[in-house]
Parts: sequence; structure tokens; C-alpha cells
Amino acid sequence: MDRIEVSNLNRQFLFRLQDVGKPKAEVAAKRVMERVSGVNIVPHFCRIEDKDLDFYNDFSIIVLGLDSIEARSYINAVACSFLEYDSEENPQEETIKPMVDGGTEGFKGHARVIMPGVTPCFECTIWLFPPQVKFPLCTLAETPRTAAHCIEYAHLIKWDEVHSGKTFDPDDPEHMKWVYSEAVKRAELFGIPGVTYSLTQGVVKNIIPAIASTNAIISAACALETLKIASGCSKTLSNYLTYNGVEGLHTKVTEFARDKDCLVCGPGVLIELDTSVTLQKFIDLLEEHPKLLISKASVTHRGKSLYMQAPPVLEEMTRSNLSLPLFDIMDKTAKDIVHVTGTTINKGTKTSCLRKLRVVFKGIDGVTDMDTAGGA
Amino acid sequence: MDGEELTEQETALYDRQIRVWGVDAQRRLSKAHILVSGMKGTVVEFCKNIVLAGVGSLTLVDDRLVTEEALSANFLIPADESVYDGKSIAELCCDSLKDFNPMVRVSVERGDLTSFGGDFYNKFDVVVVSCCSLAAKKLINEKCRKLSKRVAFYTVDCRDSCGEIFVDLQNYAYSKKKLDETVECRLQYPSFEEAIAVPWRALPRKVSKLYFAMRVIERFEQVEGRNPGETSIADLPGVLKLRKELCEAHSLNESQIPDALLERLVTATREFPPVCAVIGGILGQEVIKAISCKGEPLKNFFFFDAMDGKGIIEDITKPVHLKPSSFGERGVISL
Repeated sequence: MDRIEVSNLNRQFLFRLQDVGKPKAEVAAKRVMERVSGVNIVPHFCRIEDKDLDFYNDFSIIVLGLDSIEARSYINAVACSFLEYDSEENPQEETIKPMVDGGTEGFKGHARVIMPGVTPCFECTIWLFPPQVKFPLCTLAETPRTAAHCIEYAHLIKWDEVHSGKTFDPDDPEHMKWVYSEAVKRAELFGIPGVTYSLTQGVVKNIIPAIASTNAIISAACALETLKIASGCSKTLSNYLTYNGVEGLHTKVTEFARDKDCLVCGPGVLIELDTSVTLQKFIDLLEEHPKLLISKASVTHRGKSLYMQAPPVLEEMTRSNLSLPLFDIMDKTAKDIVHVTGTTINKGTKTSCLRKLRVVFKGIDGVTDMDTAGGA
Repeated sequence: MDGEELTEQETALYDRQIRVWGVDAQRRLSKAHILVSGMKGTVVEFCKNIVLAGVGSLTLVDDRLVTEEALSANFLIPADESVYDGKSIAELCCDSLKDFNPMVRVSVERGDLTSFGGDFYNKFDVVVVSCCSLAAKKLINEKCRKLSKRVAFYTVDCRDSCGEIFVDLQNYAYSKKKLDETVECRLQYPSFEEAIAVPWRALPRKVSKLYFAMRVIERFEQVEGRNPGETSIADLPGVLKLRKELCEAHSLNESQIPDALLERLVTATREFPPVCAVIGGILGQEVIKAISCKGEPLKNFFFFDAMDGKGIIEDITKPVHLKPSSFGERGVISL
């Protein structure tokens, strides 16, 4: 969904100065197809959440060059949602959707291969990421120590005090200059050095420093693994490569293990229901369920939309299902997988999420009441 | 410090990388002159990285014409044959690179690098050679070392899905961040000739097998009078025979250079683009470090094998004292 900016040109070499402002997907597709004959690239200029599950299921491999934890989390859940387990709790090979993920920041980067159900998925290893920097409000308001504190004070506190109602626009140079001058005043007050316009931009826009060489190394590692998966010519990276050029040159490949209890790449959160439970009741349950806490849930079963919160046309079409028993609209199967999408609160921020659920209906022939201790 | 400030255009374009290595390093880059020879996939990746980074100038040497094989790994050569017009690979790459960053002066030099004198090499701060014979590597390295100004010398070669980088920064001083302070460090590099003359037996047992394998094939090409990279599976018996001779001379067990590895390197002549990108990325960053004198440079060999994705650094330097037991054994030891 991004458009090309001047600051991209120091490394994103498929783009030229005259492409600034155009959608990245479209320009990249065109440039590569010009150079490599026989390849077909279809650009999609949109958000990753705008595509439905069927779209992603069509692909053999999903390769990621995303810029946030949230985006990776989402696509990871999508790929893992296709995974099914057999009666012995083993992943079924034909449902494994491989993913290759890469990311960089300055001299550091990583590349990894995710085989849902076999290698750890993104959620299994979410502890790898350091906690995101969020300054406590009292530090910003009372006891700043660093230049970044002064900048965030101007950005998050002083702006609203002076411009109540007007939203801060990080792309407006006048707004940025205002934040910079206020940050300088505050820094002078507390005797803190280091506030520059460049740092102000960096802190406010969360700019990630980036260079062409690190990107070349990591994207190459990703391309290599993708080629191996597509052709089967060699065993893949197992399973996480890190590169660090900060001091000298350091690369390492680590074999991380899966989290057996992972909510995303595991067999799915178990939900036991009476056959009388309506779809509406089910959706309400999801909001309260301690492992899920999903609000405004949309539900799909075997590719069929049971209820969609949006767009309005689909919402209207599926609204009548809400009053029907879930058991009935799931074709009266004793147990099956459903997928739900919605929003959840993660560390204070609202994020989109997708979860796989194992729905089991109580009292159906052949299915005895499961021990709730082992269930949801 | 050099007086000139970066222009507004440079500051906007290089913003994201200035945040990585600072304004001073960027200024030094903009004054650096690089010479590159042998425009195959890896070198092309390297050129892309340093042109995007904003070096002062880049001079390309490669008089060969376009082949279908070149097209498979060189993304700077346009797909449209009608623009070739008898131009050399260097000339076609030059046109594409200018497009990547109009602020870098990219040009072509024709002719045999080994015939150029000190005056020519004195124009450059960095020299990178690829697909170069053993004799040429040594000769060009020496020409760089004879100059009064320091010219950084690199070789880079890929065979099959493996790559090798060699670095010679001669007597090199640089700054390194240690915790909160900046420390001044100094390194002493051997020339390529000195490095490969280190007796194999004197090297640690865990030394990358790729080092030996590359040396065997390099020597094979020299003995057979081949152009660099011109080997095939038919040469394997000859290569294995040479391995035997070299291992005997160095008192190294032949199993240290596996048959399978030599077969891989000798057979595949086509380059593998992702390997080119990894090696070209690492080489790009090494050259940027050398120009900016910031950050610990690689010393002095780097190996990469796409099979396991591992990168290995080997320090192949003449030891100060030879163990007494290394004398009196059969074979020739050249130092």
C-alpha cells in the first residue's frame, strides 16, 4: 500500500527519481518484467488485510518484506490458518504453507524460513523481539533525560495543549518544525544536548536507518530459500539467520524450536459448544474467551463466510445467519475448523488478528464430552 | 576535515544511510574513486550497492560482449538486444548504473589492466578484481602496494553457489566503538601472494575447505593456461590429480578438500543470483567501511556457501614464528 518516496531511493533500486509518488507494487512489477522475460508479476496496491484468505491460499509460497511486527503477525496467522492436523496431532503436509521472512535495520538483518507446524511460526518466537520503545508519560512530563524525551514531549503532550483539535501530521514540514523548536526549548530548560531536526524526524516518524548492502544480503538469503522451496534442490535454512555488521561481520544460523502450545500454528484453540448455540452467541463468546478476546469478529468456515462485519454489502447478506445455530450453518459436522478475524488489544494497542478455532459440538454421535481441563 | 558540505539533494537522498554511518562518512564516500574489473553477477551487485551509496566515481573494466550466460546473472544488462550495438558489458553496465544514481560519475576503461602503470592505479582509492587469473591478481595487488597512497585491494569470485572475498588494506588504522568510547585500532594485512603462500599445514584444522578448494582450482587454471572460470566436469580428474600434488607438497590430508566440493566448483559455470547478492552486499559494506575508516574491516578472507547459508571469515596471515616441527618434512615449502 506504500508509495515511493525520495528517501527510498538510496536502496530500493527498482525505483527512480521520476517514480516518486507512484505505488511501489506497480513500479516494481513493471521494472522487473521489463528485465526478466517470461516472469509474470501482478501488483496489488492495497493493505494486506484487504485480501481474503482464499487469495493467500492460492499461492505456494509467501515471502515477506514487511515493516512492522503487527503486519508480520497478521500474515503469519493467515498462513498458519491453512494448517490442519491429523488424528495423531501431526501437521498434514499438503496444508503447510511455507513462508520466508526478512527484515533489516542499519547493519543488522535477519532471514527465516517458516513451515507452519514444523518450524516455529512468528508467534512461537515473538519473545525474540525486544520490547517496543514507549516512554512513560511521567518521564516525558516531569523528568526528561534524553533528547528523544524532549522530542516526544513536544510531539505527544505540548502539541495537543497548543493545537487542541488539530491532528499532528508527520509529513507536514511546518508541524515538524514546530515540534523541533518546542523540543529545543525543553532541552535547553533541562540542559539536555542532542536535539537536532534530523533526530526529531527520526523519533516522531520512527525512521528506521537503512542501507543497500544489508538489504542485498538479507533479500538474497530470502530469494535463496524461496528458490530451494520452489525447486526442492536443497534443504532449507534451518531456520533463523541473523546478520550483524555493526562490529566487523557476524552471521549465525539458529535452529529455534516450535512452541507446542502456540495459539497460531497449533491445532487451534478448542471451543466446545452445544448444538443450540447461535452464531451471534458464538461471536459474543469470542470477546470474553481468555485466550482470544476478539471483538467485532467475522467468521468463515471452509471458505464460506458465515458472518462478515464489513463491507456493508456482505454484512447485510450474512446478517440473517446470526440467529441460526452454528451447528446448522456448519453443515451439522460434529467438529471442524473455523477461522475468525477481528480486533484484539495487544499491549494497549488495537490490532487486527486472525485465529484458527477447533469447534467441537457436544453430545454428537461418536464425540463424547471432552475433558474441559484439556480444552479451552 | 574536508570542507565541502553535502548538497540538499544529497542530504535528502542519503537520509536513511546518513542515519546509519553519519555525515562525515557520507562526505568521504562522495570523494572516493573505485576501479572494478570483471563485470559478472557478484561484481554487478557490488557496483549497484556502492553507486546507491553515493561514491565519487566508479570506473568499469570488461571488454567482453554480451552472452546468454551473462544475461542470466547480470541485471544491469538490459533485456532489449537492439541497444547492445556492439557495446561491451562494461559499457552496457555503465549506462544502467548512471540511471541508479545520477550523482555518481560512472565510466569505462578499455584494455588489459595488467599493462597499466602506477599512474593509472594512483587515480583510485579502491580496486576490486574478479574473474582474474592468479598471475593478474598478484600483479595488480603489487601495483597497488607500490604506490605511496594506500589503495585498498579486493578480489571476489563465485563458483557454483559458493563465494570468496579477499581483502588487502595494507597497514590500516580505523576507529571502533567500544561501549561508550571510540577506540583507535590498527591492522596489518598481507598481500594476496603472501597470504596464499602460508603453508597449509600451518593453518588451523578448522579452516574452511573452500579456501583450499579455491586455491586448487585457481592453480589448475594457471597451469592449464585457462581463462578464469573456464572449467568443466571433464577437468575433474586433472583437478583431483593437482589436489594430490598440492596436498603432498603441503603435507595436508587430501580429505581436507572433498571430491564433492571440487566437483561442484569445477562443473557449474553459471552464476547463482542470490549468492551474487549476498557476496556483493558484503563486499559493498566492506568497501564502504574502508573508505570511511569506520568500523572493523574483514581480515582477510570471507567464504560463503549457499548450501548451508553460512558465512566464514578466515585470517590467513603468515605466522610470526614457524613451529620447528614443520621443517624436515618432505615437499617444497614456499614462503
